[in-house]
Amino acid sequence: MNEVQYIGERLIFGNLGHLAVVVSFGTAIIASISYLFAANNPEEKSWQQIATAAFYTHTVSVLTIILALFLIIKLHLFEYHYAWQHSSKDLPAEYMISCFWEGQEGSFLLWIFWHVVIGNILLRTSKNWKNEVMTTVMLCQVVLTSMLIGIKILGYKVGSSPFELLRNAVEGPIFKQPDYLSKITDGNGLNPLLQNYWMVIHPPTLFFGFATTIIPFAYVIAALWKRDYTNWIKPTLPWALISVMVLGTGIIMGGFWAYESLSFGGYWAWDPVENASLIPWLILIAGVHVLLIYKTTGNSLIPAMILLVLSFLLVLYATFLTRSGILGNASVHSFTDLGMSGQLLLFIGVFVIISVVLMAMRWREIPSSAKDEQVYTREFWMFIGALILSISAFQIFATTSLPVLNKILGTNLAPPGDVIAHYNKWQMPMAILIAILTGIAQVLKYKKNGKEGYIPLLTHSAIAIVLSVGAMFFFNIENWFYVGLMFASLYGIIANISMMKPVFTGKIKMVGASVAHIGFGLLLIGVLVSSANKEVISINQSGKMLNPEFDSQANMEHVYLEKGKPLLMSNYEIEYRADSTEWVNNYYQVHYKKINPENNAVEYEFDLYPNAQINPKMGLVANPDTKHYISHDVFTYVSSIPKEKSTKFVHEQIHMIKPGDTIITNNGYIILTNINSNVNDALTNTKNLSLLIGAELKVVTLKGTFDAMPMYGIQDNKEVNFESIVDEARLRIRFLGVDTKNKTIKIETAEQDTSGDFIIMKAIVFPWINLVWGGTIIMVIGFFLAIIRRIKEFRKTVV
Amino acid sequence: MKKTHIILIALISVAIGAIFSTYGDASTYENFKKAAENPDKEYHIVGVLNKNKPREYNPQVDANLFTFYMIDEAGEEKKVVYRAPEPADFERSEKIVIIGNINGEVFEADKILLKCPSKYNEGEIPKG
Repeated sequence: MNEVQYIGERLIFGNLGHLAVVVSFGTAIIASISYLFAANNPEEKSWQQIATAAFYTHTVSVLTIILALFLIIKLHLFEYHYAWQHSSKDLPAEYMISCFWEGQEGSFLLWIFWHVVIGNILLRTSKNWKNEVMTTVMLCQVVLTSMLIGIKILGYKVGSSPFELLRNAVEGPIFKQPDYLSKITDGNGLNPLLQNYWMVIHPPTLFFGFATTIIPFAYVIAALWKRDYTNWIKPTLPWALISVMVLGTGIIMGGFWAYESLSFGGYWAWDPVENASLIPWLILIAGVHVLLIYKTTGNSLIPAMILLVLSFLLVLYATFLTRSGILGNASVHSFTDLGMSGQLLLFIGVFVIISVVLMAMRWREIPSSAKDEQVYTREFWMFIGALILSISAFQIFATTSLPVLNKILGTNLAPPGDVIAHYNKWQMPMAILIAILTGIAQVLKYKKNGKEGYIPLLTHSAIAIVLSVGAMFFFNIENWFYVGLMFASLYGIIANISMMKPVFTGKIKMVGASVAHIGFGLLLIGVLVSSANKEVISINQSGKMLNPEFDSQANMEHVYLEKGKPLLMSNYEIEYRADSTEWVNNYYQVHYKKINPENNAVEYEFDLYPNAQINPKMGLVANPDTKHYISHDVFTYVSSIPKEKSTKFVHEQIHMIKPGDTIITNNGYIILTNINSNVNDALTNTKNLSLLIGAELKVVTLKGTFDAMPMYGIQDNKEVNFESIVDEARLRIRFLGVDTKNKTIKIETAEQDTSGDFIIMKAIVFPWINLVWGGTIIMVIGFFLAIIRRIKEFRKTVV
Repeated sequence: MKKTHIILIALISVAIGAIFSTYGDASTYENFKKAAENPDKEYHIVGVLNKNKPREYNPQVDANLFTFYMIDEAGEEKKVVYRAPEPADFERSEKIVIIGNINGEVFEADKILLKCPSKYNEGEIPKG
């Protein structure tokens, strides 16, 4: 068989990229092994040198992979499957970056990239721990880069290469032609849901968070390996906090993206993909707290190590869940299965075995305290808090893992029908306990407290009770569970505010924990109020009058809105005013007027422009628009639009007018300024006209004044007319004849039939949702302060 | 016994409770027949759209009513009522998961998940 010589393929990019993948894989192996030997043979400098050289080569090759893939996307090299599948020519530049990580290979690459960044930092900062820590990081790089190799080894395809050629990835007769590439003019484009600013920054942040969890893990492994159970804490603490901060920011960014651009109406849906990243985060927070206990008291080393190791293993588990296709029917996220389940399981297996074996080998010699805990101490309550966080994570883990359980046990369990009620039932009591513990533990001192240590508990609780009563009325909360959560959050906030004294002496970095706890309390209040009092307002009030059986509000959450016809829903009068198209997006202008129910006065008005992208592959993709106020958000999205727009005109009316006369229309008026008998017949595209006159009109509407000139003529002794359509005024105007006796002309006006021009939309009011974002930001600031403090502590140490 | 041990035991029992709760709350993937036996319980039913029967959504009449016929994995067909607009790209779905319960002759779906394995990834290559 003759090989086809393909024309125009730019193979150099793919070959370079592929070579770089193989080099990065090879150097990761060499580096990992060399660091291992360097750690065990500190006198032998050559291992060290090999490791360093391999690591730098690895760094360069990873950067080369990224550059090659980015150029393939940027230069629209559609001979590569990745570019063809994830990008298109018309994509704005900022979304080119999103194409990079839309596919699995790209997101693995992102993770690999962050490990390289982390490796470079560790190389310079990890001091005596460098060889041990780098061994683990590079071992992880071996596994990760293997995911990009895409070569068959012993009949098993290892990884999936982002540099696969289209003609190898997809079958088609077109590939028999040498010039096939000239026929592939454009790529598939980026999933419209990802065409959002937040999707440019959310994935790198989240993956940086995922990547950083390896650092505490690597230090734990190194501590067990070296049998040094004290010196690993100082470097681990700032890294664990960085991980908490970045992963938390990444998760909430994903929530904000969902809120801003998805139509489910909210920021958290307890979807397995979201849960998968929340679980390691909760465990990591628990781990940080227990690590602090160990640091100050010397107790609880084993739980601290277990939690930090678990958080990394759970990140690997998250990767497995989202990328193996096992979630199947349980998740709405569409990650495709690249057939790498086996490899992903191996990934988890390797690290589970390393941790379990090492932990088991050292179990007896890990220092532990035999004496009983004191109840009047910070560490006692901190430990309880960490345990509750772990249980909370475990409950999410149990439900999220149902599809895995089905696979193992052969059952057919589906996620609970009412997922939110299921999770609330468990997570709310735990949130109450955690919020209270953030206060109790913070107020108490480490190691020893007199009984007077409990006095603030009483004063803070008293203040919190008073405020809770106020909040009950202010936020209109009736459910007692919610009142409990409100009290717990307020108590936590107040107790932590009382710990802010160091700020006044300029020691701002000492209050990181308190600030983070205050942010957490505000976040809880935001979650509580915005979900408990969230109101679907798109319920057509006029329907109630027409149909007495119109009672099941829950099922009537979408309203039909005809263009130009205002509608009353809840306390808002809404009107669909106009639509416009920009690139592939259709924006619908919906005008809102907030009506005061008491005096019917308009309190405020605003416009929203929800977008419906009619995507050739996905149909209507709704992109909501939200009006943000301090106390509430009004969220709106278009759920359906007519299949085709009407071009009919109705309400024809005849007017006999002379220059200077006015015709009143339904949305303005028309003035006849002049009758032009000297019209160029080129305007009509017809010939043999024995007469052609035009009526020069000014069409005045609220939107502005538009010129129109319908024309009238005689062709082969027959009357003809050339109509004029003024889209902005939704009018069709015809010039039908001339009355020479009265010196008037006959004008017909008709209105565009807008009954087929409608949108179906849903609107939700989220009260105080800004507390969710604000609380998160404060929490992140708290983490940041804590990081600064712990980095300074670490810098002071020698080893 | 140390206090931490007592707490640990308490928390482990909570964890076991969480597992049982997950089982208790979990819905199951079933077919229409099973759902009909227990009209009060919510089920996940996997099936395909019957493209030969009408899908109806007339927003001008009722913006919150969409009906279609689905064939479950056992081959049984049932009319499905969904009180919301027709989901985008519904007719192109390869597999549908409906979550809800039987109400008389029809299945009332509270949620619809569309599974399009090819959702955005399989584009068309020009034929030649």
